[in-house]
Amino acid sequence: MTMFQWIGLPLLLVLLSITLAAGVGQRITRRMTVWWSLVWIAAFAAIARPEITIAAARLLGVGRGADLVLYVAILGMLTGFFLLYVRFRKLEQDLTRLVRHLALHESGSSSHARREHS
Amino acid sequence: MIIEHATRTRPQTSGSDTAGNEPDRTPVLSTDVLPDDFLSSVFVVVPAYNEGSTIGQVVRELRATIRNVVVVDDGSTDETGSAAEAGGAIVVRHALNRGQGAALQTGLDFSLQRGAQYIVTFDSDGQHSAGDVPALLAPLFANTADVSLGSRFLGSAIDMPFRRKMLLRCAVMFTRVSSGLRVTDTHNGLRAFTRAVAERINLRMDRMAHASEILDQIQRSGVRYLEVPVSIRYTEYSKRKGQRSLSAIRVLLDYLFGRWMP
Repeated sequence: MTMFQWIGLPLLLVLLSITLAAGVGQRITRRMTVWWSLVWIAAFAAIARPEITIAAARLLGVGRGADLVLYVAILGMLTGFFLLYVRFRKLEQDLTRLVRHLALHESGSSSHARREHS
Repeated sequence: MIIEHATRTRPQTSGSDTAGNEPDRTPVLSTDVLPDDFLSSVFVVVPAYNEGSTIGQVVRELRATIRNVVVVDDGSTDETGSAAEAGGAIVVRHALNRGQGAALQTGLDFSLQRGAQYIVTFDSDGQHSAGDVPALLAPLFANTADVSLGSRFLGSAIDMPFRRKMLLRCAVMFTRVSSGLRVTDTHNGLRAFTRAVAERINLRMDRMAHASEILDQIQRSGVRYLEVPVSIRYTEYSKRKGQRSLSAIRVLLDYLFGRWMP
């Protein structure tokens, strides 16, 4: 085994264990548990058997196995950033609605409340 | 959908006259032509964030003609809320700063809850003139329009920075292309609409992109709107505090993303 494999493979086993424990402890959803477990397992396979990435790269018409890994990683991160941004926007809107709800609730009980017009 | 320009316009001026006096801001229309029971159903919504130095004066000027002035204090860290209250406004406070669009929507919701039949939106930094409010309300009272939009390009823009003028012209062209709305001033916070229109407005753009969003929603709802000449005064204070030109790019991106996001 190479030095990189000695470092990378145990690290990935640790990450897989943490993910499974978080899933069992319901700190993350079942879907996220499955998704991230697959990511760590795929990374484990790519590091343990680099010839897998080479074969996959040839199949997809990409130059080298390392290039394929890079492209997949970048695409994955961009997708992740986009989904996080959409989620962030939703949180912002929810926060505004909460602040508005509090503001209207507090003003309703203040001495400035006016008579309802018919 | 009817597009009209008010037939009476104030002479276009910029800067002061040769004697160094400010251009005349006497209202074109007085509230004497609007009955009391109409005026009592009007609510003016003023979103404000850290405008402690101007909000008191703005509220007092508005209260000279309109009784129901609602200041939405958008999480200010200065004395905006207390100054507005001292001026006689009803103050609604956001616990956190959420942006002018969010504050405006809160003001609309509050006013509708309190039975408003007509709502005016007004800026808190002293750029707008309270004397323009009756001219905005007159078409609503006469039932010739459901929305009145203030336009500085039909009225007067005093001491407007050149860069701001060019940017606003671009915004006008963009709005015509993206929403088909033919207005001369797309980023004017001085507007008036009926209760029916206010009930249909639902601003999702918290920050400055709400200006474009309001026009979009007006255009989609097919209500009658017209533009009314108003005067905008660019003081040193408001120029310093105003939107920086670069942030207009952010407003544009925010609006484009928001328009096509679920």
